[in-house]
Amino acid sequence: MRRSPARLVIALSVAAALAVFVLYTSIAGAGTPQIQPKELAQHTGVVLLVGKVVSTGGDSHSPGGMRFVLRDVKADSGARARVVYHGTVPDPYRVGREVVVTGTLRHGVFVAQDGSLTTKCPSKYAPAKSKT
Amino acid sequence: MPQLGRAALLLSLGLVAYALIAGSIAAWKRRRRLAISAQNALLASFFSTAIAAGVLWSALARRDFSFVYVSEHISRKLPLGYALAAFWGGQEGSLLLWLLILSGYAALAVWLNRSNRELIAWVVPVLAAVAGFFAFMLCFVSSPFATAPAPADGAGMVPSLQNPYMLAHPPLLYLGYVGLTIPFAFAMGALLSRRTDERWIVSTRRWTLAAWTFLGVGQLLGAHWAYVEIGWGGYYAWDPVENAALMPWLAATAFLHSVMIQEKRGMLKVWNMVLVALAFNLSIFGTFLTRSGVVNSIHSFSQSPLGGWFLGFIAVCVVFSISLIYLRLPMLRARTKLESLVSREATFLYNNLLLVAFCLTILWGVTYPLLTEALRGETRSVSKPYYNFFLHSFGLPLLLLMGIGPLIAWRRASLRALGRMFLIPFGVGVVTGVALIAAGFGSSPPGLLAYTFSAFVLASIVLEFVRGRRATGSILRLVGRNRRRYGGYLVHAAIVLLAIGVAGSSSYQTVREKGLKPGQAMTVAGYTLTYRSLATKQEANALATRATVDVSRGGSHVTTLHPGKNSYPVEKMTSNEVSIYHDPRNLGDVFLIADQINPGSNTLYLKALVKPLVNLVWAAGFLFVFGALVAMWPDAVEQRRLADRYAAGAVAA
Repeated sequence: MRRSPARLVIALSVAAALAVFVLYTSIAGAGTPQIQPKELAQHTGVVLLVGKVVSTGGDSHSPGGMRFVLRDVKADSGARARVVYHGTVPDPYRVGREVVVTGTLRHGVFVAQDGSLTTKCPSKYAPAKSKT
Repeated sequence: MPQLGRAALLLSLGLVAYALIAGSIAAWKRRRRLAISAQNALLASFFSTAIAAGVLWSALARRDFSFVYVSEHISRKLPLGYALAAFWGGQEGSLLLWLLILSGYAALAVWLNRSNRELIAWVVPVLAAVAGFFAFMLCFVSSPFATAPAPADGAGMVPSLQNPYMLAHPPLLYLGYVGLTIPFAFAMGALLSRRTDERWIVSTRRWTLAAWTFLGVGQLLGAHWAYVEIGWGGYYAWDPVENAALMPWLAATAFLHSVMIQEKRGMLKVWNMVLVALAFNLSIFGTFLTRSGVVNSIHSFSQSPLGGWFLGFIAVCVVFSISLIYLRLPMLRARTKLESLVSREATFLYNNLLLVAFCLTILWGVTYPLLTEALRGETRSVSKPYYNFFLHSFGLPLLLLMGIGPLIAWRRASLRALGRMFLIPFGVGVVTGVALIAAGFGSSPPGLLAYTFSAFVLASIVLEFVRGRRATGSILRLVGRNRRRYGGYLVHAAIVLLAIGVAGSSSYQTVREKGLKPGQAMTVAGYTLTYRSLATKQEANALATRATVDVSRGGSHVTTLHPGKNSYPVEKMTSNEVSIYHDPRNLGDVFLIADQINPGSNTLYLKALVKPLVNLVWAAGFLFVFGALVAMWPDAVEQRRLADRYAAGAVAA
């Protein structure tokens, strides 16, 4: 009995999907590094910087931009990242909040891409603080 | 009261544990009375879980801050509707909602299928095992009934959650997520009971369709919520938490299509088992993602101890499903074979492969940071360009297949028949594409392709209705006689509207931003926006600041918009309050965001987006629900036909 062409279709489809995937990863690279302030000095290209806001000031729509300082999210290594940012500031942004910002380290300052700042929503599904 | 809640949850755990153990023994040893006892225990677990849910809702309504959950999620000033919606606003409450819906679904599914004794005997322990996991978590890991000395007021609700969508979006998503447990349980029940014919599919077809519809509508409501509330001008950000709901929906979409091949041709039995297991496991994976904090998300569900538990449960479910499917492979052989690569079943197969490939590339993107961390010691992540690339690569061919599939004959199609069937839709597609290029829409190739393919699909759907009406003499009679087929076409039309809306609002949107003083203006996509003044008003739980912006076009006043910000003193937070003008000319929006307000100098930094056709995205939701309801509506003729078929023990070949 003649074999079903379904297997051929599946095999060709998987091969096509893999080809598309390899094509994408070879053209667009394999993602952006996601780092904390303590790792920032070791990276020269575009990175996603994740940190907790220690201090903040300035106007994100002024030529000088908004300037803020980030520390590591979990264990504080003492490392601080100075960030300059232009663009929309999310509602929940403030000191103490965890943020993610995309950009590049230039002369000791992390220059963020315009509008790349995202702030985590602070309370949803957070673990309870005190229980009896 | 908290004691009653805890006792009710412990009772639920005991009942589902009994249903699991007694149900397994009863199914194994074929003990009918024990099986009925296990079914009753599963039914009873719904009532005990409902009591626990009632206790939590009562505490939220009474603002009983001695419940830690209540004090952490609402405040005295929070309106009652939002206070009640806080039930699913936090981790413990949302887990209780999972169990409540699951036990309700399980009770109903078991009761409706109680005559199908052999199958249901194994379905009960599978459902009980899933419910048991959630009951255990609620009793011993994440209890909503923890208490502490009551503070004077609660922490309140995050401002972005204080939106009417909070009342509908999360429960709809949960109805979808949890609903996928029913087809999974029936599939596993069919494998365990060695009844691998199409009965389990017939028993769960509407359950799958309902869960899929809830999940789809839930996501669309979430998208609209993000659009009107979050204030960034978009509605989908490829965030891991959003992807968590999209993945099981895609797997369920593939499943809904491939079961038709099994019903019609007795093929793809293993594939269907794999898809239903994939959809269920992805729904649990989504719940894991939102609670573990293992990947970065703007929704930021914080790190919690639940991640490990969920990971363990997913591992058990995956190993269980794969092992069972593998063990029963000899029973899952297809009764017929694919006869031609140009046939309706072949296009369904292509559709399935594209849907699953898209689903898996999203899964790859979501888990990429974890994989790179584990393998390379460095966390890397992918973002919007990655997902958009695969949306275009897999989504556009999928769109095209929606127009091809319904017109191709089952088994084998001749070239002559194809030419006859596709002449009109193909012509409509080509004319639309050429007209769009002439009108200057060639700036975005994916947008142009989406519009062209959409025209082709809409033409093929209209053609199907026209041909059917000719045969039956009436549209109502046509749809009434084959609700599933024509309901499906309506859903396809909804997906086309969605595709047009997404293409228009993303590929052809215009964005401008500018700092303005009163009296100053800016222009965007033919609209002139003139900033007039700023006003502040005290609302129930927030201080509202609103700008007045006149919108005009061609010198004529169109409307006045009021973008602004709300300041919430209890929550100590500020939220953007966008203002939108729906333009009936292009079915699009003029979307204004008061990005920055300086009340001292009355200056406003205004961000304006013009999003053509975006309202088709929301209109698609209504058509989607209508089409799904048509497809789901009970059909006595179809029921009799299926009953006859299974009574004869045959599958149409």
